[in-house]
Amino acid sequence: MPEIQRKPKKVPRQERIERLKQGFTETEQVILQRRSVRLYKPDQVPAFMVRRILEAGRFAPSAGNCQPWKFVVLRDEKVITALTDDTVKLCDILRNMVDYRKPGAAWMKPMVKFNTRIRKNDLHPVPFGAMAMIADRKLGLWHKAPTVILIFADVRGVSCPELDCGIAGQNMVLAAHSMGLGTCWVGFVRPAFDYMLRWKKFFGISYPYKFMSSLAVGWPVGEPDGMVERQTHAVDWYEDGLKKVVY
Amino acid sequence: MRYLSLKEFFKIPAYDDPAELTLGEVAFDMEKCSRCGMCARVCPGAAIAFDGRPSMKPFPENQCMFCGCCAAACPNDAVIMKQPLVARFYYKPIGHGEIKPPRLFTE
Repeated sequence: MPEIQRKPKKVPRQERIERLKQGFTETEQVILQRRSVRLYKPDQVPAFMVRRILEAGRFAPSAGNCQPWKFVVLRDEKVITALTDDTVKLCDILRNMVDYRKPGAAWMKPMVKFNTRIRKNDLHPVPFGAMAMIADRKLGLWHKAPTVILIFADVRGVSCPELDCGIAGQNMVLAAHSMGLGTCWVGFVRPAFDYMLRWKKFFGISYPYKFMSSLAVGWPVGEPDGMVERQTHAVDWYEDGLKKVVY
Repeated sequence: MRYLSLKEFFKIPAYDDPAELTLGEVAFDMEKCSRCGMCARVCPGAAIAFDGRPSMKPFPENQCMFCGCCAAACPNDAVIMKQPLVARFYYKPIGHGEIKPPRLFTE
Protein backbone atom coordinates (compact mmCIF):
# COMPACT_ATOMS: atom_id res chain seq x y z
CA MET A 1 0.00 0.00 0.00
CA PRO A 2 1.47 3.41 -0.92
CA GLU A 3 1.85 5.75 2.00
CA ILE A 4 -0.60 8.61 2.40
CA GLN A 5 0.67 11.47 4.50
CA ARG A 6 -2.29 13.05 6.24
CA LYS A 7 -0.51 15.92 7.95
CA PRO A 8 2.23 18.26 6.75
CA LYS A 9 5.72 17.42 8.00
CA LYS A 10 6.64 19.47 11.04
CA VAL A 11 9.56 21.73 10.21
CA PRO A 12 10.82 24.49 12.54
CA ARG A 13 9.89 27.93 11.26
CA GLN A 14 13.49 29.16 10.98
CA GLU A 15 14.43 26.14 8.89
CA ARG A 16 11.43 26.74 6.62
CA ILE A 17 12.45 30.36 6.10
CA GLU A 18 16.03 29.39 5.30
CA ARG A 19 14.75 26.85 2.76
CA LEU A 20 12.55 29.46 1.09
CA LYS A 21 15.60 31.60 0.41
CA GLN A 22 17.12 28.76 -1.60
CA GLY A 23 14.34 28.71 -4.19
CA PHE A 24 10.67 28.34 -4.94
CA THR A 25 8.71 25.58 -3.19
CA GLU A 26 7.36 22.72 -5.30
CA THR A 27 3.88 24.22 -5.20
CA GLU A 28 5.15 27.63 -6.23
CA GLN A 29 7.01 26.03 -9.12
CA VAL A 30 3.85 24.32 -10.37
CA ILE A 31 1.97 27.62 -10.10
CA LEU A 32 4.65 29.70 -11.80
CA GLN A 33 5.45 27.18 -14.52
CA ARG A 34 1.85 26.42 -15.46
CA ARG A 35 1.07 27.54 -18.98
CA SER A 36 -2.18 27.01 -20.81
CA VAL A 37 -1.58 24.07 -23.12
CA ARG A 38 -3.19 24.09 -26.54
CA LEU A 39 -1.37 21.25 -28.28
CA TYR A 40 -2.08 17.75 -27.04
CA LYS A 41 -0.99 14.24 -27.93
CA PRO A 42 -3.86 11.93 -28.91
CA ASP A 43 -3.14 9.40 -26.12
CA GLN A 44 -5.80 9.23 -23.45
CA VAL A 45 -5.03 10.22 -19.86
CA PRO A 46 -5.27 7.23 -17.45
CA ALA A 47 -8.62 7.31 -15.65
CA PHE A 48 -7.02 7.18 -12.20
CA MET A 49 -5.18 10.43 -12.93
CA VAL A 50 -8.46 12.13 -13.81
CA ARG A 51 -9.92 10.80 -10.56
CA ARG A 52 -6.97 12.30 -8.69
CA ILE A 53 -7.51 15.64 -10.44
CA LEU A 54 -11.17 15.58 -9.42
CA GLU A 55 -10.08 14.90 -5.83
CA ALA A 56 -8.06 18.13 -5.92
CA GLY A 57 -11.23 19.92 -7.02
CA ARG A 58 -13.32 18.22 -4.37
CA PHE A 59 -11.11 19.60 -1.62
CA ALA A 60 -11.15 23.19 -2.84
CA PRO A 61 -12.27 25.84 -0.37
CA SER A 62 -15.79 27.18 -0.91
CA ALA A 63 -18.01 29.72 0.83
CA GLY A 64 -19.65 28.11 3.84
CA ASN A 65 -18.20 24.79 2.64
CA CYS A 66 -21.19 24.56 0.32
CA GLN A 67 -19.23 22.98 -2.58
CA PRO A 68 -21.52 24.45 -5.24
CA TRP A 69 -20.11 22.59 -8.25
CA LYS A 70 -20.85 19.74 -10.56
CA PHE A 71 -18.09 18.24 -12.66
CA VAL A 72 -18.75 16.35 -15.87
CA VAL A 73 -15.91 14.30 -17.32
CA LEU A 74 -16.03 13.97 -21.07
CA ARG A 75 -13.74 11.37 -22.61
CA ASP A 76 -15.86 10.30 -25.55
CA GLU A 77 -14.18 11.52 -28.71
CA LYS A 78 -17.43 11.53 -30.67
CA VAL A 79 -19.20 13.70 -28.10
CA ILE A 80 -16.24 16.08 -27.83
CA THR A 81 -16.18 16.42 -31.62
CA ALA A 82 -19.95 16.97 -31.88
CA LEU A 83 -19.94 19.58 -29.11
CA THR A 84 -16.93 21.27 -30.73
CA ASP A 85 -18.66 21.34 -34.13
CA ASP A 86 -21.80 22.87 -32.67
CA THR A 87 -19.78 25.50 -30.79
CA VAL A 88 -17.89 26.36 -33.96
CA LYS A 89 -21.22 26.82 -35.76
CA LEU A 90 -22.50 29.08 -32.97
CA CYS A 91 -19.26 31.06 -32.93
CA ASP A 92 -19.64 31.54 -36.68
CA ILE A 93 -23.19 32.89 -36.28
CA LEU A 94 -22.19 35.16 -33.39
CA ARG A 95 -19.09 36.29 -35.22
CA ASN A 96 -21.14 37.30 -38.24
CA MET A 97 -23.29 39.39 -35.94
CA VAL A 98 -20.37 41.29 -34.42
CA ASP A 99 -17.23 41.15 -36.57
CA TYR A 100 -17.11 44.52 -38.28
CA ARG A 101 -13.52 43.98 -39.41
CA LYS A 102 -14.52 41.83 -42.36
CA PRO A 103 -14.94 43.59 -45.72
CA GLY A 104 -18.26 45.35 -46.23
CA ALA A 105 -19.24 45.23 -42.56
CA ALA A 106 -18.01 48.64 -41.40
CA TRP A 107 -21.63 49.80 -41.05
CA MET A 108 -22.01 47.40 -38.13
CA LYS A 109 -19.37 49.16 -36.09
CA PRO A 110 -21.54 51.57 -34.04
CA MET A 111 -24.06 48.84 -33.31
CA VAL A 112 -21.37 46.41 -32.22
CA LYS A 113 -19.80 49.05 -29.99
CA PHE A 114 -23.17 49.53 -28.35
CA ASN A 115 -23.48 45.77 -27.83
CA THR A 116 -19.99 45.71 -26.40
CA ARG A 117 -21.16 48.10 -23.68
CA ILE A 118 -23.88 45.68 -22.74
CA ARG A 119 -21.81 42.50 -23.03
CA LYS A 120 -18.49 43.94 -21.98
CA ASN A 121 -16.97 40.61 -21.00
CA ASP A 122 -18.08 38.52 -23.96
CA LEU A 123 -17.05 41.17 -26.47
CA HIS A 124 -13.76 42.12 -24.88
CA PRO A 125 -11.10 42.47 -27.62
CA VAL A 126 -9.46 39.13 -26.75
CA PRO A 127 -12.48 36.80 -26.98
CA PHE A 128 -13.72 38.93 -29.87
CA GLY A 129 -10.66 37.85 -31.84
CA ALA A 130 -10.74 34.31 -30.48
CA MET A 131 -14.37 33.85 -31.50
CA ALA A 132 -13.50 34.64 -35.12
CA MET A 133 -10.55 32.24 -34.97
CA ILE A 134 -12.69 29.43 -33.56
CA ALA A 135 -15.31 30.07 -36.26
CA ASP A 136 -12.58 29.81 -38.90
CA ARG A 137 -11.20 26.70 -37.16
CA LYS A 138 -7.84 28.44 -36.75
CA LEU A 139 -8.15 27.93 -33.02
CA GLY A 140 -9.41 24.64 -31.64
CA LEU A 141 -11.96 24.65 -28.87
CA TRP A 142 -10.39 22.00 -26.63
CA HIS A 143 -7.43 21.61 -28.94
CA LYS A 144 -8.12 17.88 -29.40
CA ALA A 145 -7.53 17.17 -25.73
CA PRO A 146 -8.66 13.59 -24.98
CA THR A 147 -10.30 14.50 -21.65
CA VAL A 148 -12.54 17.47 -20.93
CA ILE A 149 -13.89 18.44 -17.52
CA LEU A 150 -17.02 20.61 -17.66
CA ILE A 151 -17.68 22.72 -14.56
CA PHE A 152 -21.22 23.69 -13.62
CA ALA A 153 -22.16 25.92 -10.70
CA ASP A 154 -25.05 25.30 -8.36
CA VAL A 155 -26.51 28.81 -8.42
CA ARG A 156 -28.02 28.32 -4.95
CA GLY A 157 -24.54 28.31 -3.38
CA VAL A 158 -23.39 30.56 -0.56
CA SER A 159 -22.09 34.01 -1.51
CA CYS A 160 -20.47 33.60 -4.94
CA PRO A 161 -20.70 30.05 -6.34
CA GLU A 162 -19.04 31.14 -9.60
CA LEU A 163 -15.92 32.01 -7.66
CA ASP A 164 -15.98 28.70 -5.80
CA CYS A 165 -16.09 26.88 -9.14
CA GLY A 166 -13.08 28.89 -10.25
CA ILE A 167 -11.17 27.92 -7.12
CA ALA A 168 -12.04 24.24 -7.58
CA GLY A 169 -11.05 24.45 -11.23
CA GLN A 170 -7.69 25.98 -10.46
CA ASN A 171 -7.05 23.30 -7.84
CA MET A 172 -7.63 20.72 -10.57
CA VAL A 173 -5.43 22.58 -13.04
CA LEU A 174 -2.53 22.78 -10.62
CA ALA A 175 -2.92 19.13 -9.63
CA ALA A 176 -2.86 18.14 -13.32
CA HIS A 177 0.28 20.16 -14.03
CA SER A 178 2.01 18.67 -11.00
CA MET A 179 1.41 15.28 -12.68
CA GLY A 180 2.99 16.41 -15.94
CA LEU A 181 -0.32 16.90 -17.72
CA GLY A 182 -1.34 20.02 -19.62
CA THR A 183 -4.60 21.90 -19.16
CA CYS A 184 -6.42 24.85 -20.62
CA TRP A 185 -9.42 26.76 -19.31
CA VAL A 186 -12.06 26.89 -22.04
CA GLY A 187 -15.15 29.04 -21.56
CA PHE A 188 -16.10 29.28 -25.22
CA VAL A 189 -18.42 26.31 -25.11
CA ARG A 190 -20.91 28.40 -23.12
CA PRO A 191 -23.06 29.29 -26.19
CA ALA A 192 -23.76 25.57 -26.69
CA PHE A 193 -25.33 25.49 -23.23
CA ASP A 194 -26.98 28.90 -23.59
CA TYR A 195 -28.57 28.45 -27.00
CA MET A 196 -28.79 24.73 -27.74
CA LEU A 197 -31.31 22.73 -25.81
CA ARG A 198 -29.88 19.46 -27.06
CA TRP A 199 -26.65 19.79 -25.12
CA LYS A 200 -28.42 20.70 -21.90
CA LYS A 201 -30.60 17.66 -22.46
CA PHE A 202 -27.65 15.46 -23.37
CA PHE A 203 -25.83 16.26 -20.14
CA GLY A 204 -29.02 16.45 -18.09
CA ILE A 205 -28.26 20.02 -17.06
CA SER A 206 -31.11 22.11 -15.68
CA TYR A 207 -31.77 24.46 -12.78
CA PRO A 208 -29.95 25.00 -10.41
CA TYR A 209 -26.92 24.17 -12.55
CA LYS A 210 -25.36 26.78 -14.76
CA PHE A 211 -22.40 26.27 -17.09
CA MET A 212 -19.29 27.98 -15.74
CA SER A 213 -16.27 26.85 -17.68
CA SER A 214 -14.41 23.77 -18.79
CA LEU A 215 -10.92 22.34 -18.66
CA ALA A 216 -9.08 20.58 -21.45
CA VAL A 217 -6.79 17.92 -19.98
CA GLY A 218 -4.20 15.89 -21.83
CA TRP A 219 -0.57 15.02 -22.43
CA PRO A 220 1.15 18.07 -23.90
CA VAL A 221 3.25 18.02 -27.05
CA GLY A 222 6.77 19.17 -26.22
CA GLU A 223 7.42 20.90 -22.92
CA PRO A 224 5.06 23.85 -22.81
CA ASP A 225 5.29 24.48 -19.07
CA GLY A 226 7.84 27.00 -17.92
CA MET A 227 8.22 30.40 -16.34
CA VAL A 228 7.69 33.44 -18.53
CA GLU A 229 7.62 37.17 -18.01
CA ARG A 230 4.48 39.16 -17.52
CA GLN A 231 3.24 42.51 -16.22
CA THR A 232 3.61 43.42 -12.57
CA HIS A 233 0.56 44.97 -10.96
CA ALA A 234 0.24 47.86 -8.54
CA VAL A 235 -0.50 46.56 -5.06
CA ASP A 236 -1.50 49.00 -2.35
CA TRP A 237 0.29 48.16 0.89
CA TYR A 238 -0.86 49.61 4.21
CA GLU A 239 1.52 49.26 7.12
CA ASP A 240 2.66 51.33 10.12
CA GLY A 241 0.04 53.94 9.36
CA LEU A 242 1.43 54.51 5.88
CA LYS A 243 0.36 53.54 2.40
CA LYS A 244 2.82 52.53 -0.27
CA VAL A 245 2.42 51.00 -3.68
CA VAL A 246 4.50 47.96 -4.53
CA TYR A 247 4.84 46.22 -7.89
CA MET B 1 -9.79 57.82 -7.30
CA ARG B 2 -11.30 57.84 -10.77
CA TYR B 3 -9.76 55.11 -12.88
CA LEU B 4 -11.57 55.90 -16.11
CA SER B 5 -12.29 59.41 -17.37
CA LEU B 6 -15.72 60.05 -18.79
CA LYS B 7 -14.33 59.88 -22.31
CA GLU B 8 -12.64 56.58 -21.55
CA PHE B 9 -15.75 55.21 -19.95
CA PHE B 10 -17.88 55.92 -22.99
CA LYS B 11 -15.41 55.04 -25.74
CA ILE B 12 -15.10 51.42 -26.80
CA PRO B 13 -11.84 50.98 -28.70
CA ALA B 14 -11.98 49.95 -32.34
CA TYR B 15 -10.45 46.51 -32.73
CA ASP B 16 -9.22 47.17 -36.24
CA ASP B 17 -7.30 50.33 -35.41
CA PRO B 18 -3.72 49.97 -34.07
CA ALA B 19 -4.05 53.36 -32.38
CA GLU B 20 -6.82 51.97 -30.17
CA LEU B 21 -5.64 48.41 -29.73
CA THR B 22 -1.97 47.44 -29.47
CA LEU B 23 -1.50 43.71 -29.83
CA GLY B 24 1.07 41.77 -27.91
CA GLU B 25 4.48 41.42 -29.43
CA VAL B 26 7.34 39.00 -29.06
CA ALA B 27 10.73 39.01 -30.76
CA PHE B 28 13.00 36.14 -31.70
CA ASP B 29 16.67 35.82 -30.90
CA MET B 30 17.80 34.29 -34.17
CA GLU B 31 21.17 33.27 -32.74
CA LYS B 32 19.48 31.00 -30.19
CA CYS B 33 16.60 29.87 -32.44
CA SER B 34 16.91 26.30 -33.71
CA ARG B 35 14.07 26.73 -36.24
CA CYS B 36 11.93 23.99 -34.68
CA GLY B 37 8.68 25.93 -35.18
CA MET B 38 7.31 25.04 -31.75
CA CYS B 39 6.44 28.69 -31.01
CA ALA B 40 4.19 28.87 -34.05
CA ARG B 41 2.54 25.52 -33.23
CA VAL B 42 1.63 26.40 -29.64
CA CYS B 43 0.51 29.99 -30.28
CA PRO B 44 -3.21 30.28 -29.46
CA GLY B 45 -3.44 33.58 -31.32
CA ALA B 46 -1.98 32.22 -34.58
CA ALA B 47 0.31 35.21 -34.26
CA ILE B 48 3.54 33.58 -35.33
CA ALA B 49 4.28 32.71 -38.95
CA PHE B 50 6.87 30.02 -39.53
CA ASP B 51 8.51 29.53 -42.88
CA GLY B 52 11.87 28.12 -41.88
CA ARG B 53 12.17 30.91 -39.32
CA PRO B 54 9.58 32.43 -36.96
CA SER B 55 8.21 35.93 -37.36
CA MET B 56 5.27 37.94 -36.00
CA LYS B 57 2.33 38.29 -38.35
CA PRO B 58 1.30 41.90 -39.06
CA PHE B 59 -1.67 43.71 -37.48
CA PRO B 60 -4.51 42.75 -37.42
CA GLU B 61 -3.96 39.19 -38.67
CA ASN B 62 -2.38 38.10 -35.43
CA GLN B 63 -4.10 37.85 -32.07
CA CYS B 64 -1.12 37.97 -29.72
CA MET B 65 -2.32 38.41 -26.13
CA PHE B 66 1.14 38.11 -24.59
CA CYS B 67 0.38 34.76 -22.93
CA GLY B 68 3.98 33.65 -23.18
CA CYS B 69 3.18 30.15 -24.41
CA CYS B 70 5.77 30.56 -27.18
CA ALA B 71 8.42 31.69 -24.72
CA ALA B 72 7.70 28.78 -22.37
CA ALA B 73 7.56 26.20 -25.16
CA CYS B 74 10.77 27.38 -26.83
CA PRO B 75 13.48 24.82 -26.03
CA ASN B 76 16.24 27.39 -26.57
CA ASP B 77 14.89 30.43 -24.74
CA ALA B 78 14.92 32.37 -28.00
CA VAL B 79 11.62 34.20 -27.55
CA ILE B 80 11.83 37.69 -26.10
CA MET B 81 8.60 39.03 -24.64
CA LYS B 82 8.32 42.67 -25.65
CA GLN B 83 4.86 44.22 -25.61
CA PRO B 84 1.67 43.18 -23.81
CA LEU B 85 -1.73 43.47 -25.47
CA VAL B 86 -3.07 46.90 -24.59
CA ALA B 87 -6.58 47.99 -25.50
CA ARG B 88 -7.26 51.66 -24.87
CA PHE B 89 -10.17 53.72 -23.54
CA TYR B 90 -12.80 51.55 -21.86
CA TYR B 91 -10.54 48.49 -21.76
CA LYS B 92 -7.32 50.25 -20.78
CA PRO B 93 -5.15 48.35 -18.30
CA ILE B 94 -5.03 49.88 -14.82
CA GLY B 95 -2.03 49.69 -12.54
CA HIS B 96 0.13 47.49 -14.78
CA GLY B 97 3.86 47.80 -14.21
CA GLU B 98 6.95 46.53 -15.98
CA ILE B 99 7.35 43.11 -17.56
CA LYS B 100 9.16 40.82 -15.15
CA PRO B 101 9.80 37.09 -14.71
CA PRO B 102 8.75 35.39 -11.43
CA ARG B 103 10.77 36.96 -8.63
CA LEU B 104 12.20 35.05 -5.70
CA PHE B 105 11.93 37.51 -2.85
CA THR B 106 14.23 36.50 -0.02
CA GLU B 107 14.25 39.49 2.33
